[in-house]
Amino acid sequence: MSPIFLIQAINVLYGVTTLAVLVLGLAVIFGLLGVLNIAHGEFVMVGAYCAWAVTADGLPFLLAVPLALVVCGLLGLVVERVLIRPLYHRPFDTLVATWGLSLLLRKTAEAIFGLGFRSVRLPLAGTWHFLGVDYPSYRLVLIAVSILVLAALFLWYGSSRTGMRIRAMVGNADLAQAQGIAVKRLAAGTFIAGTILAGLGGVMVAPLVPVQPFMGLDYVLRAFFVLVVGGLGSVLGVLAGAGAIGGLDSVVSALIDGTYGYFTVLVVAILFLWLRPRGIFAHN
Amino acid sequence: MRTTSLGILAILLLPLVVGDYWIYQFGLYFLYAAAAVGIGACWGRAGFLPLGQAMFFGIAAYLSGLALIACDGSATALIFLPLAAAASGLLAYLIAALVFRGIGESGAYFSMITLALSLLTFQIANNWSTVTGGFNGLKGIPGLPGIESYTASYYVAAVALILVLGLCGWLYDAPIGILWRALAENERRVALFGFDTNRLKAIAFGVSGLVAGIGGVLYAPQQGLVSPQLTGFILSANLVIWVAVGGRGTLLGPVLGTLIVGALTTQLRDTIPFWEVLMAAFFIFVVLAMPDGLAGAIARAATRLTASSHLARKLMGGGAARPKIMAPARTLEAGGAQLEIRDVSAGIGEVAILDRLSFAIRQSGISCIIGPNGAGKTSTFNLLTGELAARRGQVVLDGVMVSGMAPHRIVRRGVGRKFQIPSVFPDLAIADNLGIALWSGRASWLDLLRPRLRRWTSPMLEELCERYPFLAEADRRAAELSHGERQILELAMALLTEPRVLLLDEPCAGLSPEETQGVIDVIRWAAPRLGSAIVVIEHDMSLVKALAATVYVLHNGTLLAEGSVAEIQADPAVRAVYVGSEK
Repeated sequence: MSPIFLIQAINVLYGVTTLAVLVLGLAVIFGLLGVLNIAHGEFVMVGAYCAWAVTADGLPFLLAVPLALVVCGLLGLVVERVLIRPLYHRPFDTLVATWGLSLLLRKTAEAIFGLGFRSVRLPLAGTWHFLGVDYPSYRLVLIAVSILVLAALFLWYGSSRTGMRIRAMVGNADLAQAQGIAVKRLAAGTFIAGTILAGLGGVMVAPLVPVQPFMGLDYVLRAFFVLVVGGLGSVLGVLAGAGAIGGLDSVVSALIDGTYGYFTVLVVAILFLWLRPRGIFAHN
Repeated sequence: MRTTSLGILAILLLPLVVGDYWIYQFGLYFLYAAAAVGIGACWGRAGFLPLGQAMFFGIAAYLSGLALIACDGSATALIFLPLAAAASGLLAYLIAALVFRGIGESGAYFSMITLALSLLTFQIANNWSTVTGGFNGLKGIPGLPGIESYTASYYVAAVALILVLGLCGWLYDAPIGILWRALAENERRVALFGFDTNRLKAIAFGVSGLVAGIGGVLYAPQQGLVSPQLTGFILSANLVIWVAVGGRGTLLGPVLGTLIVGALTTQLRDTIPFWEVLMAAFFIFVVLAMPDGLAGAIARAATRLTASSHLARKLMGGGAARPKIMAPARTLEAGGAQLEIRDVSAGIGEVAILDRLSFAIRQSGISCIIGPNGAGKTSTFNLLTGELAARRGQVVLDGVMVSGMAPHRIVRRGVGRKFQIPSVFPDLAIADNLGIALWSGRASWLDLLRPRLRRWTSPMLEELCERYPFLAEADRRAAELSHGERQILELAMALLTEPRVLLLDEPCAGLSPEETQGVIDVIRWAAPRLGSAIVVIEHDMSLVKALAATVYVLHNGTLLAEGSVAEIQADPAVRAVYVGSEK
């Protein structure tokens, strides 16, 4: 295998796996609770600022993980209680409310950190020699972590008791409650899990992208398109959607330029809404 | 009328009172307000939220700027400016027609796509330097010929805004505005009155694109500069905030929000730290606790103060009672339809609902469908109105195969329906509920733009009003009606469409014995007048006896028996099903 081709292949693998992790939080909340959290991207942003805050203070990068966990978890807790819980089963109102939340988080970040770009120093500099090519070490670690996270979530959801309760809640919330499942607490937990996943995604990508208040917009749209293509309700769908959207975007952007990449993704997403509104794996 | 003239007078006299700074600010915010009114049309009326509205403002501004530069400020440019606004409207219409065609629903998907499109437009404007001037924008745009002072430019913006308000106010007053509100409440029901709801929504979005375009077209000569930011996210986001705070459901709310929040923002952004954070928090508060915004709050306060609801009705957009106009007859062949279900199987997912069902209704008059729970009675209605797809077999109405057609097309061929749970439009006045039924199948697309259709009546409606006087209480909201009255209202709506096939799903469900007798009387009264085939789903055998000559018995999604009440009661197969499975 030629080295250039191998590097491209790893690039695609990197793009797809990290995108999949960034989508997870949105997929969990939208797929399981039926709430499209437009503020998803802002939770990614909050995670990225956590990474910045930790490294700017000269602390080790890994401390950003517990910090993002706590910050995004608490935010998720409050948001679920105040904003989401009164609006379950009113998808349109949750859409508007989370959109307001995204404005609030973005403006708050703007007020605290300013509009400028912040950069987070790579915690793992240098490259690793790998199958005859040199590849940035941090990205290789990210690929591994992403695959681990996806696999762990897949296994946990399919086999743990909590996973089963969540599936019961999604299937029939009233019946689940009648069976003694604390549906409200479970839904809150699911929402918080989604915001924490978004925050951790933000920590992961922080060293590789400019950290700024508006960074979330791009992530939420990309994540949404991934769900449109992949459909809701399966890790496999998230992977397929991430593969399609991430792959398409990087190929078209590489061949022509970024605007066309974005345009192609948009057109494909609209086509999917027409032809397969429930995603690539839907039967109908 | 008086409030309108006062408002216009205030706008005209403002330059005499305030200085150039405010004249300039208001001139600018009037243009943004035009775009905000369009968002109000989509969000407050038709019930879907566009998140990327700046794109239409910006695109029109670019087109207008290019035209003005190309004509070098001469009057020739004036020909192109309306075209630029129209182009924005057309683009919006096409986008909505494409997206809604695929998904139908009005929720998150459409909003997200408009957001993405707005970001895409920003990228194009930013990168296509040869045409748009790139990041720095299109500079040195000449002003409109003859418009040189701030005051002149203010008046241009004011006239544009009044024009936009006039257009939208007229549309809100016309049947199409009522249909927008109706489909925000219950889209499926609007489709089952024979209206193409996706096109109605696309028109709403087209109008919003047009009025944003009108604002954008005038922005270019007013400011002399069009930059990519104008198409992008921040303006889109601000517009939605302004509309929410001002009051999305009213005509003037968006204008109020734009002027107040916009003006406050320019004043306070630099003096109050976290001003924009406060605005975002306020937005969330409004969404949760004050859905009709400042305009709604003002209207309520005014009602309380003056005890006259005139201003309130003005702000909230209420109807009025004027002389009635007789609606034209429906252009359908009179008489009963030939309806045939041929060997149809249908289901949802793995669940089979109808199993090779066949029966035909060939004569006018009343027939009943009975059967145990889960027999497929309501599903048969869903099949007939195109909401349940047939996996095999056909539905043929008057020799035309209707299975596979969209519900609104089938309904237009003369199928009417009443649901078991009364589905009227609770936030609409009784008169508008009845109006929707009258417009169904009688009004053309052009008719839907004419406010005088709100005054339509028909001989059948007049007689129904005599039987049920509450139907004539035009301004009362349907939400205030009792369950029994809602059943009557929906029955009246179904009758008023004067269909060739009328499907009534348990019209007496939840009614008292007297009300039930009333409904039976109305159905028997209407049957010969309509001359149509009326099919009633009913559980109560005494009502079936009172109503129907012919009875169809459904069981497990297929036809078990057919005949007169006596024949059915004697049928051993029917007896076996009922004795074995139902009370």
